[in-house]
Amino acid sequence: MLRFILNRLIAMVLTLWAVSFVAFAIIQLPPGDYLTTYMATLAAQGERVDPRAIEALRQQYGFGEPYVVQYWKWITGILTRGDFGQSFEWKAPVTTLIWGRLANSILLEGLAVVVMWLIALPIGIFVAVKKYSLGDYLATVAGFIGLAIPNFLMALLLMYLSFVYFGTTIGGLFSPQYESAHWSLPRLWDFLSHAWAPVLVLATAGTAELIRILRANLLDELKKPYVTTARAKGLPEWKVILKYPVRVALNPLVSTIGWLLPALVSSSVIVSVVLNLPTAGPLLLRSLTSQDMYLAGAIIMLLGVLTVIGTLISDLLLAWIDPRIRYGSK
Amino acid sequence: MRIGLFKGWVSTAALAAVIIGAGPALAQQQAPMLDDLVASGDLPPLEERLPSNPLVVEPVESIGTYGGTWRSALRGGLDNAWIARTVAYDGLVRYNREWDEIIPNLAESWEISEDSRTYTFKLREGLKWNNGTPFTSEDIAFAVELFSEPGYGVGSFIKSEQNPVSVEVIDDTTFSLVFEKPNGVILDELAGVGGLTLVSLSKDYCSQFYPKYNESAAEEAQAAGFQTWELWMEDRCGWATETIRWANPELPFMNAWMIEEPLTGTATRATFVRNPYYWKVDTEGNQLPYIDRLTMRVSDSVEEITLMALNGEIDFQDRHIATVINQPIFFDGQEQGDYRLGANIPSSMNTLILQFNLNHVDEKRRELFANKDFRIGVSHLLDREEIIDVVFTGQGEPFQAAPRPESPYYDEEMAKQYTEFDPDAAAAAFEAAGLVRNGEFYTFADGTPLNITIDMISTFRTEWVDMMELLQLQLGAGGLDIELNNIDRTLYYEKRPAGDFDAQIWQGDGGLDVVQEPRYYMPSGDESVWAYRWAQWYQGARPEIAEEPADWAREQMELMRTLQSEGDAAKRDELMKQILAIAKENFPVIGVSLPGNGYYIAKNNLRNVAEPMLHAYLFPTPGPYDPFQWYFAQE
Repeated sequence: MLRFILNRLIAMVLTLWAVSFVAFAIIQLPPGDYLTTYMATLAAQGERVDPRAIEALRQQYGFGEPYVVQYWKWITGILTRGDFGQSFEWKAPVTTLIWGRLANSILLEGLAVVVMWLIALPIGIFVAVKKYSLGDYLATVAGFIGLAIPNFLMALLLMYLSFVYFGTTIGGLFSPQYESAHWSLPRLWDFLSHAWAPVLVLATAGTAELIRILRANLLDELKKPYVTTARAKGLPEWKVILKYPVRVALNPLVSTIGWLLPALVSSSVIVSVVLNLPTAGPLLLRSLTSQDMYLAGAIIMLLGVLTVIGTLISDLLLAWIDPRIRYGSK
Repeated sequence: MRIGLFKGWVSTAALAAVIIGAGPALAQQQAPMLDDLVASGDLPPLEERLPSNPLVVEPVESIGTYGGTWRSALRGGLDNAWIARTVAYDGLVRYNREWDEIIPNLAESWEISEDSRTYTFKLREGLKWNNGTPFTSEDIAFAVELFSEPGYGVGSFIKSEQNPVSVEVIDDTTFSLVFEKPNGVILDELAGVGGLTLVSLSKDYCSQFYPKYNESAAEEAQAAGFQTWELWMEDRCGWATETIRWANPELPFMNAWMIEEPLTGTATRATFVRNPYYWKVDTEGNQLPYIDRLTMRVSDSVEEITLMALNGEIDFQDRHIATVINQPIFFDGQEQGDYRLGANIPSSMNTLILQFNLNHVDEKRRELFANKDFRIGVSHLLDREEIIDVVFTGQGEPFQAAPRPESPYYDEEMAKQYTEFDPDAAAAAFEAAGLVRNGEFYTFADGTPLNITIDMISTFRTEWVDMMELLQLQLGAGGLDIELNNIDRTLYYEKRPAGDFDAQIWQGDGGLDVVQEPRYYMPSGDESVWAYRWAQWYQGARPEIAEEPADWAREQMELMRTLQSEGDAAKRDELMKQILAIAKENFPVIGVSLPGNGYYIAKNNLRNVAEPMLHAYLFPTPGPYDPFQWYFAQE
């Protein structure tokens, strides 16, 4: 088991290095740089910009240097000083901008994952066991509707309905008075009263997929002889289903936990913009359009780290629930 | 718009004397929220905080009452323009509410030398920053000194290489700006948003980040996590309206409201609170502002801001939400949201300007696009009424790139020439331009096909998508093969120097700010996309692509140079009219329609809000309408 983890860790470091290199390269691909965008903004506001002043800034920011030199400076800064560089647009160190927003992302999207599983697991088991029943069809229809409605549209609908029927504006994660307060019971309540909308929106999109995968896997397992044997031996029905077939059917779900986080972060960008959630998504979007490269690079890099860590967790979980994987690694 | 020029010491002294003459009878008052601070000794009494002759502001409707919070919203944390418009507009001088005169602000008067090179300003006696330190000529000199550093700051007249400026400090309240060459437009610059740079830095506070005054500034910057002292300075002492300026609550301000909760990268709202040292009073001697606080929700979601306004959670706003599409919703929601709509008159003179590239690198295309007949033909093919009806629900009228009807430079003929939809006239014009129609589309005389690609950015103005599709159909019906190329804004700008684009579109800047923003009337700068290479020649920039302009454009450039160094306003007007006449004759760009009025949303109990307002960026609405004299009526 130890060797299994060690192997995984080495692969992780290599993957991260590759991610950082590619991320940095992609950010620099579009024509122009941050200063082109900056100049465009000033010009659109009617301010006159002296091209020579921009050239001086370009030197100061080090845009003229070759790609590899820029990359080397960036990556050594991260490794030696934990310094992700400067955000040009916010004119602040990247580290001061991203941690709070990433924490919000993880909190919100973690909640969405939990809610998604809480809804999808029982329904998935139910529709497999009661195949082609009325309940199966109803759950399937509801699931597909959730899958088919784009997230942002669902968010807009919720905002509109809540404005028309309750006279309140949904948006943000906290009321102003709790914005900068420390965590406390009232603050938690305030958070939940704001967070239900985005969590609901994000969770509904994924449930249908989970339900379908679980149903298909479980249907395969339920037909197998060991299930019949267990039943013949007189095990209670709930134990027959939960103890073996469900455990096996969970395999493909568990192995994709690692992908959930990045998928949620990227799919939630527009929802976050529409609902004004202070998560990493809108920050990433903005930094990409304005070519604020160190900020965008840091977020992409950290998403990479999260993905890799998620994959490690799912590997460990798999080894734990499925002995075949555990022994296979020896 | 006629910008009056003040010769000699300004007669406002006389005006002030009248008001002060009435003043002593009335005790000066301050906001109740400051009474406790004064009583406890944390704040000096009002007489010591105000300058000896505070600026007396005539309220729009009536003397107001103190208190209340003005709620509005920023679209994301980088929306500094809304703060620039609401809080920041307090320069050395300012525009009056009619936008036709420059009036005293921080400077109580000024004097202009005969040769228009030396401008001597007299500051109000006893002005103070919001931390109580005096605001003096030294602060002005410091800003000029700092921005003269080659690696520091952008976009200010201080950095102009064509006409460098220096400061002579005469005493604490008197100083001169001395230009190398005559400068006839500097007061306009100082009254607009660009002029705020000069008065935005306190030497007392900001010099600590400057190696000239603090030997260890560079090391301190490193210790704070910044690579250079410039980055550290920028972070602590953001100038004028830069976003970063609102993130440092320690930075001294001269504005009506000062930072309470800063606009940092992680903030979900920014708040401002009254500046106890603000140097303006109403006609009864009450210290301004009337409103205690400003809170601005930081929201990436326009939908959320729209709903907040509908729900009555916004006291005044136009930015972002006052769109053509939203207008019926806001109109219907007035009663429920307890707000009213007021009119904004845009400074823009056009909903879309089509700019063919007169400096195209392809010889044949350059010749065609530079041919006036070709552009006349294109203009006659546009069915502008159709575009106005379909896209703008009938608001507006056909219009070329020309000063707006409200402007003193308005010339009806210039605005209306070639705007009638007339396919026959177009066909004749194309023939005159040497095009031949082979079947469906026109080709060059030698038979090579003519397909024209128009670059556009759909994200900047959503109406443009609809407008351009109609325009493509209309021009196509008239025999022009048009392709639309929807691209990102960065690429849009990158393509300009290369010169191998056919045409680009943009909005109609320069409808009221004709002199300050002449980009469509002559090749004046990088935004004159239709003559980018001529503009480089004019600016003396990028010699590798600069090209000598056509004779008529050169004549305009000479007139503009004369205008910029002309001290007499009447003569400047005359020169501008000559430049416009040349533009009218040569018809360089094609306009579509005059934009209809915009609107703002104000709560019903918010008073002293002018209606209608002229709306521009250089005249940062609602700033010139004095938001510090708005108040909430108590009922």
